[in-house]
Amino acid sequence: MIYDNPVIKESGGYVVYIEFCTGINLNCNTCVQKLWQALMELSKSGIDGGIEEIVPAYSSLTIFYNPEKTCAEKLRKTVLQQWKKLKDKKLPLESSLWMIPVAYGGTFGPDLEEILAATKLSYESFIAVHTSKEYLCYMLGFTPGFVYLGDVDDRIALPRLKSPKSRIAPGSVGIAGKQTGIYGVESPGGWRIIGKTPIKMFDPRRSPPIAIKPGDKVRFYPVTVEQYKQMEGVYLTDLSTSQGEQNEH
Amino acid sequence: MSIEIINSFFASVQDFGRKGYRSLGVPVAGAMDQLSAAYANTLVGNRSDEALIEVIGGSFSFKILKESLIAVTGADADLIVNDTKARTWRALFVNEGSMIEIRLKQRGLVNYISFAGGIDVPSLMQSKSTYYRGGFGGFHGRLLKNGDVLPLKTTDVHSVLDEVAGKRPTKDVLERIPDRDEILNLRATKGIHADLFSEDFNRIFQFIYTVGSSCDRMGYRLEGQCIEKARTLGRVITTAVDRGYVQLPPDGKPIVLMADSQTTGGYAVILHVIREDVDRLAQCSTGHKVRFSLIDTMKAEQFTALYSSILRNPPLQEPEEEYYGESPW
Repeated sequence: MIYDNPVIKESGGYVVYIEFCTGINLNCNTCVQKLWQALMELSKSGIDGGIEEIVPAYSSLTIFYNPEKTCAEKLRKTVLQQWKKLKDKKLPLESSLWMIPVAYGGTFGPDLEEILAATKLSYESFIAVHTSKEYLCYMLGFTPGFVYLGDVDDRIALPRLKSPKSRIAPGSVGIAGKQTGIYGVESPGGWRIIGKTPIKMFDPRRSPPIAIKPGDKVRFYPVTVEQYKQMEGVYLTDLSTSQGEQNEH
Repeated sequence: MSIEIINSFFASVQDFGRKGYRSLGVPVAGAMDQLSAAYANTLVGNRSDEALIEVIGGSFSFKILKESLIAVTGADADLIVNDTKARTWRALFVNEGSMIEIRLKQRGLVNYISFAGGIDVPSLMQSKSTYYRGGFGGFHGRLLKNGDVLPLKTTDVHSVLDEVAGKRPTKDVLERIPDRDEILNLRATKGIHADLFSEDFNRIFQFIYTVGSSCDRMGYRLEGQCIEKARTLGRVITTAVDRGYVQLPPDGKPIVLMADSQTTGGYAVILHVIREDVDRLAQCSTGHKVRFSLIDTMKAEQFTALYSSILRNPPLQEPEEEYYGESPW
């Protein structure tokens, strides 16, 4: 359920948090992206010089501001004014389709066995379900190159692990509820790891360091251990089969 | 100009962090205790946000390969230059070949070593900060190792020395580093999910927590009384998080996010500690006692604005007010 007007909260003396709903769905994420773009324009044009950074997420936007130049009260008004103008406008959102290879199970996906037991799916049918859809990239975050994708089929939507693991290898593909995602760099994490992509998702020396952006589509396809080894370490845009056709949505 | 690392346990190159890349999942990183870092730089005539060495937990020594002007700030530590004690929180001229060692004492955890001119490492995404988990930034994207030769920018150290000699911060700057017996008061506003905790929200202010053993540049886990409500809350929809956010995972024990904070998270955020108090928390090691107190947004904005201006231009006392004690402590 998307709120009529976004809920705005402030914290820490330099953060304004804007929430459109408390769920994960395409419509809500579209609201986030619409307001994000408008506020970015506004901040670039210097009209509100106090905005330092804006971070979109599934159903919310977070503004980091400089309290020497503006305040939460002023930003709250700006946000509501902008939203009033944007609310019923349709924005053309461009998106690319990315094809991501994944080696499923074994040492690549240490949590897959448990998932197969819990879902009563075979190895092959699990892969068929996970690769059956084009997922939407709702956002990037957590750590560099971590891509949040959704929504997975209900049959494989399993909650996060109770206690997070301290080390997850880069390229690991995980599931957490209706979300699936890819770890860009080594980090702790609580997602159930089903496999690993040989692709280098994040390269700080590239511009941009991550090819996939919010609003893009991602589809997974299974690869063998041999294929994995051949593709290991290749940056996404250097993989000839990585990008599908450009879509207008 | 350069230095050679002789002994390093947990040290990295940091500045004030990488801003503007959070929407790509790139953490800000940067100095854990920004005020100490800002002072270290100012003492040697640098811009306050210049890159320097951050040493966590002491045990750091290095060799000066060409004469240099340095300053050591942060935690209470013995600074040994060629077997002789030297002053921290001052500009210090060091000759070529000098051996410098930092031995951490009882108060504080993090030290900064600045060099006039700054450290000559490439800027990546507009910052020289090391984000070692991601393997980028700073010196080859990693912590400093024994034997590393870290390049410094060339500058006329003698003319800088003329300007900065004897200048020092006021005593309160040193005393803000929490003493071992002090219960550190962390001032915080409500976090973005405070409402989800209903009556359990106020309980967090009644407890005293201790800094746990599971602490690093990413976050400090606190041990103590559980906030029961967190168990039933479970996860929230993933949203942007930042340094100072106090998350409550389902085990009900708070995690305060620190400099290498992930950009987004899915645990409920009960509080948001103001910047200057996060920097003080950075100086606390395992076992240090902390508690939270609530302030409103207007107060938090005032504190943050004032702190930002001090970080940009940390005020120093002139040499004639020099304090002639053994140690600045």
